[in-house]
Amino acid sequence: MRDVSRRQFLIRMTGLGAGAIGVMLSIPALGFLLSPLFAQKRIAWLTVGAIDQVPVGTPTVRYVDMPNEQGWPVPSERRVVYIVRKSDGTTRVLSNICSHMQCDVHWEPRLGQFLCPCHGGLYDIDGVNIGGPPPAPLPQWVHRITLDPVTGQHVLEVQNQLDERV
Amino acid sequence: MNAFRTLLHPSRVVTVPLRNAYRWFDERTGITQLVHKGLYEAVPHSGGWAYTLGSATLVLILLQLFSGIFLLLDYVPSVEEAWQSLHFLQAQDAFGNWVRGLHLWGAYTLILVIGLHALRTFLSASYKRPRELNWMSGALLFFLVLGLAITGAMLPWDNAAYWTATVVTNILHYFPLIGDGLRQLWRGGTFVGPITLTRTFALHVWVLPFVLFAFIGAHLYLLRRHGEFGAWVNYNTETDDPDKEIGERIRNAEPPYPTKRIERRYAAPKRTVDFFPDQLFKDTAVSVGLVAIIFIAGLIFGATLDEPADSATLTYVPTPEWFYLPLDQFLVLTPHDPLIAVGIFVIVLAGAAAFFLLPFLDRSRERRPTRRPEVLVPALFMIFAVIFLAVLGVNRLYNL
Amino acid sequence: MSTSTQIGGNLLTNGLLVAVVALVHIQIAAFLIGASTMAIVSETVSLVRRNRDERHDRLAHGLIKSSIFIFGFGSALAIFFVMFVLTGVWGKFFVSLQQITFWVFFLEGITFLFEIVLIYTLYANWQRLGEHRKARLGMLILLNVVQWWQMFFIDIVASFMVTPNGGDVNILNLILNPTSIVLTAHRTLGNIAWAGAAVALVSGVQYLRVTRRLETVRRTAPATAAAASVGAMAASAAGSEPPEAREARYWDWAGQWGAVFAVGLTLLQPWVGYEYAKEIQLHAYPAWFNMMFGDLSNVFLVQITLLGSIFTLGAAYFWRRMKASGAPHARRQGVVTAMLAFVTLFAALPAWFAPTYADVVTAHLDRPFWQGGLLNPFGNFIPYKVGALFAMVMLALWSLTAYMRANSRDELQAGRVGRRSAVILIGLGATVSVMMMVMGVIREHARQPYLISGELTINNQQILNNQPSAVGGSSGVTDR
Repeated sequence: MRDVSRRQFLIRMTGLGAGAIGVMLSIPALGFLLSPLFAQKRIAWLTVGAIDQVPVGTPTVRYVDMPNEQGWPVPSERRVVYIVRKSDGTTRVLSNICSHMQCDVHWEPRLGQFLCPCHGGLYDIDGVNIGGPPPAPLPQWVHRITLDPVTGQHVLEVQNQLDERV
Repeated sequence: MNAFRTLLHPSRVVTVPLRNAYRWFDERTGITQLVHKGLYEAVPHSGGWAYTLGSATLVLILLQLFSGIFLLLDYVPSVEEAWQSLHFLQAQDAFGNWVRGLHLWGAYTLILVIGLHALRTFLSASYKRPRELNWMSGALLFFLVLGLAITGAMLPWDNAAYWTATVVTNILHYFPLIGDGLRQLWRGGTFVGPITLTRTFALHVWVLPFVLFAFIGAHLYLLRRHGEFGAWVNYNTETDDPDKEIGERIRNAEPPYPTKRIERRYAAPKRTVDFFPDQLFKDTAVSVGLVAIIFIAGLIFGATLDEPADSATLTYVPTPEWFYLPLDQFLVLTPHDPLIAVGIFVIVLAGAAAFFLLPFLDRSRERRPTRRPEVLVPALFMIFAVIFLAVLGVNRLYNL
Repeated sequence: MSTSTQIGGNLLTNGLLVAVVALVHIQIAAFLIGASTMAIVSETVSLVRRNRDERHDRLAHGLIKSSIFIFGFGSALAIFFVMFVLTGVWGKFFVSLQQITFWVFFLEGITFLFEIVLIYTLYANWQRLGEHRKARLGMLILLNVVQWWQMFFIDIVASFMVTPNGGDVNILNLILNPTSIVLTAHRTLGNIAWAGAAVALVSGVQYLRVTRRLETVRRTAPATAAAASVGAMAASAAGSEPPEAREARYWDWAGQWGAVFAVGLTLLQPWVGYEYAKEIQLHAYPAWFNMMFGDLSNVFLVQITLLGSIFTLGAAYFWRRMKASGAPHARRQGVVTAMLAFVTLFAALPAWFAPTYADVVTAHLDRPFWQGGLLNPFGNFIPYKVGALFAMVMLALWSLTAYMRANSRDELQAGRVGRRSAVILIGLGATVSVMMMVMGVIREHARQPYLISGELTINNQQILNNQPSAVGGSSGVTDR
């Protein structure tokens, strides 16, 4: 009987030891794996430029070099800003990132709509999804428009993140 | 006298010591027994050419491992240098581009052949008792190969890779509740960026191959344990007394037959051949043919490299690799929020689960395909759906 | 503005003329291709099984015989269509179309030459060729291939009219215009389904005819009737059974396969059709808008109702036939039929209340039905239809699979099904026929007011020279 319980003890201890190794390795590994979820974002304001000369009623492309907001810094990524000035004085600052699969949406004059080449998503000039798979409107960049007191121009600035409110 | 013999057969100078060395090695390792066990196994007589697809798959996977290791001599997994390193390979190094061609065309061929292998196994109902786990490990291997293919497509960091990475990682965010987190984990950020590439690289080069080879081991072990099933034609009875005929067949069967835990009728094939050399010859012939095709395609076509990744393009049309066209069309077919998640995670995963769990869905004793319409009709529907979706996908992309 | 050059009649009657002739023409052409496909399947099964089952031969022969009669009529109609309707009444349009698609029409003509030779050779020598069945099968396959190319060529023309893609007429863009492949895929499946439905329809009619005669025979000779009523015994007592019983079994057998083809080949159609609509949306937006939100939106809902009816009728027939043979899972099949009927009604919900989707919006009924509206669990029009279609297809697939399962386990007996089931078969055939016509109307009507989307208007067949149009404006077509 003493022998059996000793045997049991050894088996249990072996299992416990293996488990301990697993836990010790998992904690740092999992933490490392999940780190992007908790990492600090590098948010920056980037100047697009004066928008007073942007034509009203047609989406106009401006390119902005945006620093990556997570991970180690690499050369800035060039991104598209579609400026849509409306006749009522409002301005929409759309990204070209499709709300469906984030493909490269472009303005298609033939249709008078934004078209996503991946799966044929369609958006109207305001970025409202009107056809195909997209579940939501074209997202806007987080932006602000300020009046430059020196030149008297309206200057558009965007952040390197999308406006989740849509 | 001995010296005279040596003069007559000069080769004995070499062969005698070699034979002695081999005996020494064999006594310590038992290599002869191992090789014999591997080579002299009974395989069903009829349909040998159809059984070559499995070994062809293995050869192609090994080819991928081989060419992949050589690609690592140049490739740098960094968003700044990945494209540069492959561009160097393409522009400066003819043999390097050939190796990359081997890897690409090997992958295309592998997906085709592993699909045919699954189709053959499906039609002959080889997955039935006791070979359920053979099928399931094979199904996992199929998924792993598809996973390797898609992660591999993201690595060159040209436009094709960049937009593949964008779409594939974005699919995850439609997963209920934890979707956003999953996308962020793979991307290492909100957008595709430097961490996306390193994480995908780790998946492609270490994680998935590691699991793949573990399951290849399991798959081969199970194959050897139960033997090749073959097809229903190997189990037809010819005499008037089928019971007696099957009894004799089982008594005279060579290992690994008769298989346990199976209906008596399918316990042992009526005629077998040795794996070596009969079956192995056919296996080799098919593998040589396939590798020759890859060898030539790799030389002539090489591998393509698009423009470097451009996140601000307005003209690039992201296109999936041909084997993901049907799934990509599925994204076209399921619009708007609730249906996107249903389309991707319910329908596609249900299809994958049905494929994986096939042995438990098709539990009849019947092995002939026409006598199993309960699986053949849905499978035909799925196969036709995949073909049509692929054709329509090609058409859609041509006209964009 | 050029003045009208058309000959006589007004727009409405001329349009109607085209519609009627074209729709009949399409039904005939589709049947011919589907019939040769079914004949190939029947012959192949017979050859593979090596059992010389005379029913397979009879079905294939019947299909070829009917093809001959219909081919003769169809050819005459086609000549009438081209010479009088298209050239005479719509001359300006047709000549410009001919010029654009000259080579396609040229190849189309050549396929007819081959088809005539093959189909008449097969018809005239069917029995003689019976001694060389593989050769006969080879000829059938050749015929089918020729017919398929014939369809593909005309599809190029038909799809070009809907999606000319800015009228950029280089030959490759003409052949691979955005909807040509999709239309061909749609029709390849549709033809076979339609041939199946036609076989079902004819078999249903014949079954009704034969069983009525059988009843008369049995009333006069009760002893033989008792023997014939038991399926298994009837075979052994073949000498004593009336020939009508054998006939009834044949038509029951043929009708079942007709229904299987009709349902089975329709299963993929919603997927292909969706892609078709998708291409029209991307390349001829006004036409798509017409279909989905304009005048045709309600017709499209009728289309869904018809599609659901095809599946429901098919499932109902499978259920009846399984029940008549006492197959084990007949009750489950009945449940699937009921579910299909429910999904069909559910899918067509708005169609019953509002003429067009625009009317739904004006009446502020574009809300979920639990809020008193007419639509849609998901809050959108399209996903709702997609969901309903998907459910329909899955249920129909289940039904077909269950039926084939019963068939493979020899649970079904021919000649025992009731006369009402034959009526279901006739209904199935008629529904597929109507569905094809509605489909044709939608395709032809969608591009209004254009004959070629964005290029050529219907009024006076006027060619738009340098006038901005909804799609592409002036382009290659108008320069001709």
